[in-house]
Amino acid sequence: MGTVTRRHLTDLPSTPGLLGAFVLVAVLAALAFGLPAVDRAVSAQRSLPDDTPYRVAAGVTVVPPDGATLDVTGTRPGEDRGTALFRLGPVRYAIAVQPFSGDLTAAAHRLRQRITGTSGYQVTGTQLAVSTAGGLAGLQGGYTAGDRGGRYAVFVVHGLTIEVTVSGADLDLGRTLPAIEASTRTLRFDGTR
Amino acid sequence: MSEPVRPGAGPAALLRTPAFWVVSALLAAGAVRMSQILHRFLAAYPLATVTAVGLFALLAVPFWLFVQELDFLEREPAGLLVVAFAWGGLVATTVSIPGSVALENLIAKLGSPGLAADWGAALAGPSVEEIAKTLGVVAIVLIARSQVNSVLDGVVYGALVGLGFQIVEDIVFAIGAVAMAGQGDEVQPVITTFLVRGFLAGVWSHTLFGALAGAGVGYLVVNTERSRRRRITVAGLALFGAWASHVLWNSPLLRDGLGNGAVALLAVLAFKGLPPLLLILYLVRRAHDREAEYYVARLAGLDDPEMITEGELLALGSGSLRAAARRHAADKKGRKARASVRRLQRAQARLAVELSRAPDDVGRYHLEVRAHRAALVALGHPEAVVGARTWRHTASTIGTAALAIAVLWVALAALGGA
Repeated sequence: MGTVTRRHLTDLPSTPGLLGAFVLVAVLAALAFGLPAVDRAVSAQRSLPDDTPYRVAAGVTVVPPDGATLDVTGTRPGEDRGTALFRLGPVRYAIAVQPFSGDLTAAAHRLRQRITGTSGYQVTGTQLAVSTAGGLAGLQGGYTAGDRGGRYAVFVVHGLTIEVTVSGADLDLGRTLPAIEASTRTLRFDGTR
Repeated sequence: MSEPVRPGAGPAALLRTPAFWVVSALLAAGAVRMSQILHRFLAAYPLATVTAVGLFALLAVPFWLFVQELDFLEREPAGLLVVAFAWGGLVATTVSIPGSVALENLIAKLGSPGLAADWGAALAGPSVEEIAKTLGVVAIVLIARSQVNSVLDGVVYGALVGLGFQIVEDIVFAIGAVAMAGQGDEVQPVITTFLVRGFLAGVWSHTLFGALAGAGVGYLVVNTERSRRRRITVAGLALFGAWASHVLWNSPLLRDGLGNGAVALLAVLAFKGLPPLLLILYLVRRAHDREAEYYVARLAGLDDPEMITEGELLALGSGSLRAAARRHAADKKGRKARASVRRLQRAQARLAVELSRAPDDVGRYHLEVRAHRAALVALGHPEAVVGARTWRHTASTIGTAALAIAVLWVALAALGGA
C-alpha cells in the first residue's frame, strides 16, 4: 500500500478547500436528493390482468380488484415472506406475508400495535371476524390518521400471518372498499412455497 | 496526539478554511435530521430506544480503542476522529436513508420486484453508503490535509466514519425490529439486533469497509511519487473493494443453502465475512508496519540509548510487542511500571513524529523521553523491552480465546435455533 511522507504530503491542488467542499456537497446532494428525484420520475405502477390470482409470497395468492395497479416499490415477493402493494387510484392496498408462530389473536394484536405505533394513528371500532372464499379465518378492524382512514385484516395459516392494510382519504375509501373487501376474500394459501 | 504538521496551523487557521464551515454545516444538518428520527423513536418506544442507544454506544468503545491503537505512533487529533465518527453517524446516514430507498425502488422499477427482493438490499445499500462514507475521509482531507499523511491515517479515519455509521444504523435497525415485532416498547428485539448486528456481524461491518475505502483515500493523498492516474485507480479499487465486500455481506447467497443451526450460521458468517476481513486486516497490517518502520528508523538514527534502546526499537514498531513490553514491566515491577512504560512509548512515538517534521526543534520531546526514562530507572526497570513469554500470559490467552468461542457458540446456537 503506501509509504509515509513527511513533506507537504500531497501534490493534489494546493487550495482545493472551497471547490472540493462544493464537489463534496454536490455528490451528497446527488445521493440524497438526486436519486429520489430520479426515483419519482420513473413510474412505479404496473397494470395487472383482471380476475387473475397474484402470488404475494410463500404460497399466498390474491385476486386484485379490477382496475388496480401493482406498485413495485412496495412489492417484494419471496419464498417464505413477502409483500404486495396495490393501488386503486389514491387508495393503498397492501398485503404482507411472513412466518408467525402465534395464534390469530396474537397476530391481530401485533398488527394493531404496529398501526398505533405510528405517530397519529389510532385503531377505531371493534374487531370483527372475517373469512375468505378459500376458508381462511381472520379478524378485521379500522383505524384513522387525521383525515385519512384505514382498514386492516389479519389471517393466520400454516405458520404464516397474512396482514392486509388499506388506507386512503375517507371519500376514496368509501368508494373502493367494497372491491377491496371482495379482493381480500379471494386470499388463498395454496400450500406450495 | 500529534501536533499539526503545518507550522502555525492551529484552530484559528482551521476556522479560516472554507471547507471547515461547509463540513460543519453538513454535520449540523445531519445532526438535526438524526435528532428528529431519534425524537420519533423516543416518543414511540422510549425504553427500547434508550436501551439500543446504550448498548450500541458501549459496543463502539472497544472498536474506537482498537482503531485508535492502530495508529499508536502518529496519533490523530481527537477532534478529527470525532469529526470522522460524526460524519458516519450523522451525514452518511442522513444521506443514505433516502438514497438507498430510491435506488432499491429503481431496481424494482427498472428490473423487477423479485430482483429487488433478492438483490435490492445487496446492491442499493452498499452503492449509496460506501460513497457517502468515503466522502467523510475526503472531508477530513479537505479540512486538515496535513493530518492525512500515511495510508494508515486513511484507514483510521475511514474506520471511524464506518464505526459512526454502523452504530447509528444498528440503532435504527433495532428500533425497526421493535416496531415490526408489534409488542410495544419491548427490549427483546433490541437485544436480538444487538446480538446479530453488533456481536456477530459487527466485526465485518461498516468499520471494516470504511477502513478499506479510507486506505484508498490515504494512498491517493500521500503517494506523491506515484502517478496521479495510478493513485486514483488504487483509490477507486479500494472503494470498489469496500463496495464488493458490502455487497457480498448483504447478498442472498447462502441465505438458505446451509440450513439452520449454529454450524450453518457460522459457515455463512465465515464465507461472507472472512475473506474481506482477512484481506483488509492484511492491508491494514502492511500499512501499519510501513508506517512503524518509517518512524522507528527516525529514532534509530539518533543512536542514543537514553532516547531508545535496541530492544525498545524492536518493541515500538509492533502493537503486540508494545503490549508485551508493558506486560513484562507489570510482571516485574507492578502496575506503576506498566503505566510508566506506556508513557515512555508514547513519548518516544511523539519524538519520532517530531523528528520527521522538524528535526532541529525537538528539544522538549527529548526532555520528555528523558523524564519518563528516569521514572522507569527509579522503578528499577530501566528498559521497556519484551520479556520471555510467561505461563500466566499463555494461560490467559487460551482462557480468553476459549471464553470468546463459548460466547460465540451460545449466541450462534440461540440465533440459529431461533
